Amino acid sequence: MDNKESQDQTTIDRRDFFKKAAAVSVTALAGTSLLANESAGKGDPAIMHHTKWGRKWGDPVTKNQYGIPSAYEHNVIRRSTKLLASGNFRASIAVTPIHESQGIITPNGLFFSRSHGGTAHVDPNEYRLMIHGLVEKPIVLTLAELKRYPSVTRTHFIECPANGGQEWRGPQFNSVQFAKGFMASAEWTGVYIKTILEDLGLKPTAQWMLAEGSDNSKMGRTLPIDKILDDAMIVWGQNGEALRPEQGYPVRLLVPGWEGNLCVKWLRRLEFSQEPWYCKEETSKYTDLKPTGKAIQHFYANEVNSTVTSPSPELPWTDLKDGDVVEIEGLAWSGMGTITAVDLSFDGGKNYEEANLKGLVLSKSWTRWSYMHTYKKGKKLLLTSRAIDDAGYIQPTIDQEVSVMGVEAVYHRNAVETWEVTEEGKVNHVQIRSV
Amino acid sequence: MFKLEAYNKLLVSTSVAAVLALSVVGCMGESTAPSGSDASVSLDIDGGVSHPVVNGKTGNYYVNPQAIGAKINNGRVPNAAELAKWDTDLQPVTELSPEGHGIPEGSGSVEDGETIYEAQCVMCHGDFGSGGGGYPALSKGNAYDLQKTLTNNRWKDPEADGPTRVFGSYWPQVTTMWWYIRDGMPHPFSDSLSVDETYALTAYILNINEMEIDGEEVDDEYVLDRAKFLKIKMPNVDGFEPNIAGANALPAVRAYFGKASNFGGQNLNQGAVRCMTDCQEPTAKIKRIQNGGIKDFIPAMNVTRDLPVKEAVAIDVKKVYTESCAMCHSAFLAPGSGDWAGYTPKGIDKVYANGIKGTEGGMPAKGGTDLSDADFKTMVDYLISGKIK
Ligand code: HEC
Ligand code: HEC
Repeated sequence: MDNKESQDQTTIDRRDFFKKAAAVSVTALAGTSLLANESAGKGDPAIMHHTKWGRKWGDPVTKNQYGIPSAYEHNVIRRSTKLLASGNFRASIAVTPIHESQGIITPNGLFFSRSHGGTAHVDPNEYRLMIHGLVEKPIVLTLAELKRYPSVTRTHFIECPANGGQEWRGPQFNSVQFAKGFMASAEWTGVYIKTILEDLGLKPTAQWMLAEGSDNSKMGRTLPIDKILDDAMIVWGQNGEALRPEQGYPVRLLVPGWEGNLCVKWLRRLEFSQEPWYCKEETSKYTDLKPTGKAIQHFYANEVNSTVTSPSPELPWTDLKDGDVVEIEGLAWSGMGTITAVDLSFDGGKNYEEANLKGLVLSKSWTRWSYMHTYKKGKKLLLTSRAIDDAGYIQPTIDQEVSVMGVEAVYHRNAVETWEVTEEGKVNHVQIRSV
Repeated sequence: MFKLEAYNKLLVSTSVAAVLALSVVGCMGESTAPSGSDASVSLDIDGGVSHPVVNGKTGNYYVNPQAIGAKINNGRVPNAAELAKWDTDLQPVTELSPEGHGIPEGSGSVEDGETIYEAQCVMCHGDFGSGGGGYPALSKGNAYDLQKTLTNNRWKDPEADGPTRVFGSYWPQVTTMWWYIRDGMPHPFSDSLSVDETYALTAYILNINEMEIDGEEVDDEYVLDRAKFLKIKMPNVDGFEPNIAGANALPAVRAYFGKASNFGGQNLNQGAVRCMTDCQEPTAKIKRIQNGGIKDFIPAMNVTRDLPVKEAVAIDVKKVYTESCAMCHSAFLAPGSGDWAGYTPKGIDKVYANGIKGTEGGMPAKGGTDLSDADFKTMVDYLISGKIK
């Protein structure tokens, strides 16, 4: 749409708005008087009473030199479960409350956290990054030297490929935080690895790169040169500040769109080689066993995916009245490109309507979507969302995905997911499938 | 698609093989998207799209073109000792690399391996590597038999047996085991085993997986060394796709992920349709969460906006014990000696201090917890207090 068109559009919208506003004002007033009746003229106590915070001094600015959320937000937290834990929560995951997420950025304290030997606490003064192998000149960098490279800032999600992986054989979590919260999104700052490689000279036989962490598990993964010369980054900034320890302070790898596990935290070493490595986390784990008995290894990208975040089991519609106009909201994301469309179904995937995208739509990034719905009390719904990206991928049905992958794959499950909205407005996680 | 030309100078020599290996899709201005796909969509190695830098922008992001090709030359060249200290990874024997990479000289017996296992691993990984309680199994029996279970899939029959994925039945390479034990285990105190100890533990794990090397059974008398290690062939070495070994690995990987049907994807450029009406398979039904599902969330799910209940200051000793001490101090006993008598004569302050600092004998600092000193002392008191079952 060019500028002129969009101006016209705005004018029409505004005129429309005034017309509509006049029409609805009668009903709006009716609603108000009803409320007044209810509180018998006494008024809403939240308005009529003095509030605790309204008269007394608040905190001096010297309090909380690093700000923290309101105490009332104490339930907006990462959560974990024993079933996904080993090593006393040292080889485990804590997941993001995506039902409370706003926009496409996750606050650093709520970013999902996964480690294989616990959260390491690295002294930045003793931080070193070694880059060697099939390069002309191996190097070792201090943190200051690393940060002196030209920086790039990009917004990307990081998703554990086991997001939704407990539910190949059927739904297990009546919770969007646990069913889809093995992911979070941030604005990352760092340097492209290819920029550093300009200095080092990559040898022509190099096909693979090992990335290794300095934590107690020495988490390692192998990456193909394609991605290294494309958009893989070494990052130190997360949403305008240093990485949090849980995200690999002071430095982690960021591999846009690909398995979170590849984004090695507490990064200490990159090595280039002609042959790949076969680390524990790309053999024992993070491989997808198919019914053929063969497993996919090096399954890089998190495929196109989406979920409804509101309503959700955490945010039901039990307080809605018949006829309420409510926004259905959700997230869509793809590690293989940019979200181009999201479709929403009210009957579990029989029929779809296109929803609207909202806000910034970026490559390999969370994308918000929205649909305005008039709530019909007592009507059961099956809400299914389905995203499409610009590489052409569309979320499969469960039957489609399972017919190729079986149910033992653990990772990379991106089939459409369904919330059942009951007659009372409660929300349950269900799946629509033949087997 | 990144502009490869800009990075060609990264290649210090330009052998044909190198150009092949690095001619990532589209570098010649053409798409190498696999047949059947829309030629206008250029594919990355992962099957997705990529955004070239055009007019100083990549996708929605502006880039500083001055930063491309700038020689910055930060840092210094590491010396040989530094490289040797950190370059401890192993790579397997392949056609291109007949000696593998990083596989050190050394040896260890199954017998020694068992002794170390009993002292440093059994508390988590269980007798004979049986696993449990959230700790991975290192064996489930005969590797060759169990490899055959990998075609088991509970897709059509939920009651059937699933596949058994443990080291012996599933892992493609033994180098992974050696390297991981050496660098990552024992979990609370990694990077503490010698080369020979690591060979011994590897030998023991091969033994409990009932494996053989070069036709010879890894029995209780077996001694593993580097030469024998190089000959190990894992039962499931051919169980993975796409191929990632050899000089032509990258084209194989690109081709594999260029085809959505290989990995259960649906691609509109490869025949998938965006169905809007009457889409559901007629056989599809609603499947609900069984038996309540998983709901032991920590902390419990709650979306109210109230003030937090003040937390009790005292630590829950039973909980800390179960989660952080019990796997080594089972039945509250000191490991090894079996009771606290051998420890307490030196004075309780010394016992506290050792526990806080950790010991050579295998006690991780504070048992691997991040308790305060005071809370840790409370735990020690609890352990010694005679609340022995
Ligand atoms: C305190 C508990 C603990 C001790 C002691 C311990 N481990 Fe582990 N081990 C773990 C945990 C937890 C994992 C899983 C780590 C992960 O998920 O990344 C693991 C994983 C492993 C694995 C990989 C298993 C797989 O299938 O992926 C091997 C092999 C292993 N340990 C060997 C050992 C050996 C050998 C020892 C003794 C020297 C040992 N462990 C001691 C807790 C322990
Ligand atoms: C990974 C296994 C492991 C864990 C976990 C562990 N311990 Fe230990 N602990 C040991 C071993 C082994 C010894 C014997 C060390 C020695 O003799 O040098 C020991 C010894 C001790 C000692 C005696 C120290 C001394 O030498 O005087 C104390 C006290 C102790 N542990 C307390 C704890 C407490 C409390 C916890 C839980 C918070 C805990 N341990 C968790 C393995 C463990």
